Amino acid sequence: MDLSLFGITVFLPSDVLAAWVFTILMAIPIGFFVLKKQKFGLIIDYMRTTNHRKIGTLYILFGVLYFFRAGIDALFIRTQLAVPNNDFWVFQGEKYNEVFTTHGTLMIFFVAMPLLLGLMNVAVPLQIGARDLAFPFLNAVGFWLFFSGSVFFNISFFINMTPEIGWTGYAPLSTEMFTPGLDTDFYVFGLQISGLGTIFTALNLIVTIIRHRAPGMKMTRMPLFAWATLITSVLIIIAFTVLAIALYLLMFDRQFGTGFFSGTEGDPVFWQHLFWIFGHPEVYILALPAFGMFSDIISTFSKKVIFGYPVMVISIALIGFLGFMVWAHHMFTVGLGPMANTFFAITTMAIAVPTGIKVFNWLFTIRGGVIRFTIPMLFALGFIPSFVMGGVTGVMLSVSAANFQFHDTHFVVAHFHYVIIASTIFGIFAGLYYWYPKITGFVLDGKLGKWHFWLFLIGFHLTFFPMHITGLEGMPRRVYTYEVSDGVFLLNFLSTIGAFLMGISMLFFIWNVYKTHRKGEKAGNDPWDGRTLEWCVGSPAPEKTFDPMPIVKEMDPVWYAKVENRELRTTANTRPAPIETESFLPLAFALSLFLLSLGITFSWYWLAIAGGAAALGLFILRSFTDERENHYGKEDSHE
Amino acid sequence: MKRAVLIIPFLFLLSGCNIAVLEPKSDTAGDQAFLIIFSFWLMMIVVGTVFILFIRFVFKYRYTDKKKNFMPKDVKGNKKLEATWIILPVLLLIVLAVPTIAITYEQSPVTGGDSDEKDGTHVYVTAEQFAWNFEHESGKEERNNLVIPEGESIILHLTSKDVIHSFWVPHLGGKVDVLPGEELVYEIRNPEKGTYKGKCAEYCGLQHAKMTFEANVISAAEYETYVNEN
Repeated sequence: MDLSLFGITVFLPSDVLAAWVFTILMAIPIGFFVLKKQKFGLIIDYMRTTNHRKIGTLYILFGVLYFFRAGIDALFIRTQLAVPNNDFWVFQGEKYNEVFTTHGTLMIFFVAMPLLLGLMNVAVPLQIGARDLAFPFLNAVGFWLFFSGSVFFNISFFINMTPEIGWTGYAPLSTEMFTPGLDTDFYVFGLQISGLGTIFTALNLIVTIIRHRAPGMKMTRMPLFAWATLITSVLIIIAFTVLAIALYLLMFDRQFGTGFFSGTEGDPVFWQHLFWIFGHPEVYILALPAFGMFSDIISTFSKKVIFGYPVMVISIALIGFLGFMVWAHHMFTVGLGPMANTFFAITTMAIAVPTGIKVFNWLFTIRGGVIRFTIPMLFALGFIPSFVMGGVTGVMLSVSAANFQFHDTHFVVAHFHYVIIASTIFGIFAGLYYWYPKITGFVLDGKLGKWHFWLFLIGFHLTFFPMHITGLEGMPRRVYTYEVSDGVFLLNFLSTIGAFLMGISMLFFIWNVYKTHRKGEKAGNDPWDGRTLEWCVGSPAPEKTFDPMPIVKEMDPVWYAKVENRELRTTANTRPAPIETESFLPLAFALSLFLLSLGITFSWYWLAIAGGAAALGLFILRSFTDERENHYGKEDSHE
Repeated sequence: MKRAVLIIPFLFLLSGCNIAVLEPKSDTAGDQAFLIIFSFWLMMIVVGTVFILFIRFVFKYRYTDKKKNFMPKDVKGNKKLEATWIILPVLLLIVLAVPTIAITYEQSPVTGGDSDEKDGTHVYVTAEQFAWNFEHESGKEERNNLVIPEGESIILHLTSKDVIHSFWVPHLGGKVDVLPGEELVYEIRNPEKGTYKGKCAEYCGLQHAKMTFEANVISAAEYETYVNEN
């Protein structure tokens, strides 16, 4: 559609126009609500906050927002694939390629990551008895970097410059020669900025877990979610650094004509190595926190301590370690030779062992317990069989010669949706329902939660189970249509029905949130009869937690205090807690990097220089401010 | 969960059992189909075990009003049980690893080198956005139609003119990537007569979905005439 404004005619495809209209229509009631309820103060408060619960809430809020956006992308994909030779709206060729690129990129980087980091932010300090993350200011920087990276990526859609290189961004397709527009730059910089934020947050979580545990909370008494967070954070630091390097080199190839990934000196396979050295650990970065949450949730709602705690910790570490040795199983068909193909097949199979251990330990935690079918527990129970189905196809995929057939078909699509949705997405939902009282002070409605769970579970299996078969029937991934003669119509149609069931289930979730807040029934400190430290602080978690500080003598301290009918022992003598501050600096810093990226993308170098200078200036400014001075006095350099 | 299991046979009925990958028309694809079926049944042992335990435990230990005040005994672990589910999966994977390694060593695509001397019918495949070109030893070229003789070893030499593509004829064998600036060699052994669909399996841009071709396996004599006619 051609739009004429101030004498400039802009071509806008109808989907982009629809996005503008939809966004403006959504902005009006939200703006109206803010005006009417005088919520400006609250917004300003959240823009300046460094409190872990508030930052966690922001992460979750935007994670859920992008989940809907990327979910709508998925519905477009499924509608286009519902019948053979379909011509749904604009989603053929270019637009289809854009929509699967944004679906994948958003779901991994701007949905799964922030939701997990959000839950870690909310729950981990509470679980280990920390008053906040070790570096509250850095935490805010991390969030705002994620935020500006995600906004940077998303604006590409509104100006009809969406990347169309797939979420894996394989070179040489992603180099300037084959995608000369600005589209791919939005991918490069969007991920670069938000990835930087993720690295900061991971560092922060590691220091928090190592330095700020409550007295007596030995590493061996930590809840498994805290353990999973610790190991995940280590993985993030290594993997996201590799991604940053890959994106950096790609930026140079695109902006300044270097030839790392193409031409005579470069090699497109380098990109695949770098990407998957990031990409495969990333899968475990998504899965391990979910494993941690499920461990805590299954233990809580079975009324039993986790079965085989030491092995559970070791297996998380082992999965993390092996996760770095399997990247080339994404590359069995690029001709690395029989030796590499065998090595990576074996290491990949080996990962199945620690994962299997976890599954059986969860099952034996349930055994002999009393299972309460709360919503978090339903998600945890739905996870076990669904995840095992995804896990075994993973082992099938590791068989490298068979992988020549599976590779890049809908079989692979089925596999990774089975593992990622069953672990990460189920885990996120379980965690959201579980810790919702700690975030907002309310418990989400159980009946609507059941609707959400069952529709989502059934929709999920209905969507992805048939894809195993369409893949083996010869349907490659990332194709926008198929022929009647391919014989995959009915199965694709089932997948589409399943996708819409998942979409409907999310409406129940939103309705649930609305209804719960409308009703406004306050939850107590311990609505689930919990086991770990977070259930001894208020709901929602207050800004000053653990005052006085509890002394931990065993695992699951809150539970055993309840069982033995005693109070937790406390002490006033604790390590200095991290100091919160209120500052616009994190937001300003993220904004300056946003402008820097915008400048490079559009070759407005004055803007890039201004953005870079602003970032540097803010660095210097920050170096001369120390909010701890007011609390602990000036540091004496001679001491 | 349980419902998903119930729909499995239903789905197989719907698909009419014409699963290309599991109807191999060459020795290469045959070995791969064997590995798929073999790993599938091995993995069904795992799925079966987990499902049985899961259903049993969830049913038996569910909350009932009788258990309202029941306090379960804490079980911190059990060395023997844990050793069981470490050792058994390792054994299972060793069983799987043996044929995997054997077939992988034989079938993995390799980079060019001295492959020209290999015995068999050589075909030079060049991919570009969004078409395939097949050149035979006689110099005969055809676009989007691969013609090969039955019963022989077909040695494919693949290169790309632009981005990365992937060559795939599900009935004849697995994929092999087609890279710019580097020749990969892949062997299809003993194909059977017939016409099969081929496609690009690596996302390569705008019309990736339409980058298909036909693979015709014909008799050796017919192939002789084909490559020499103009």
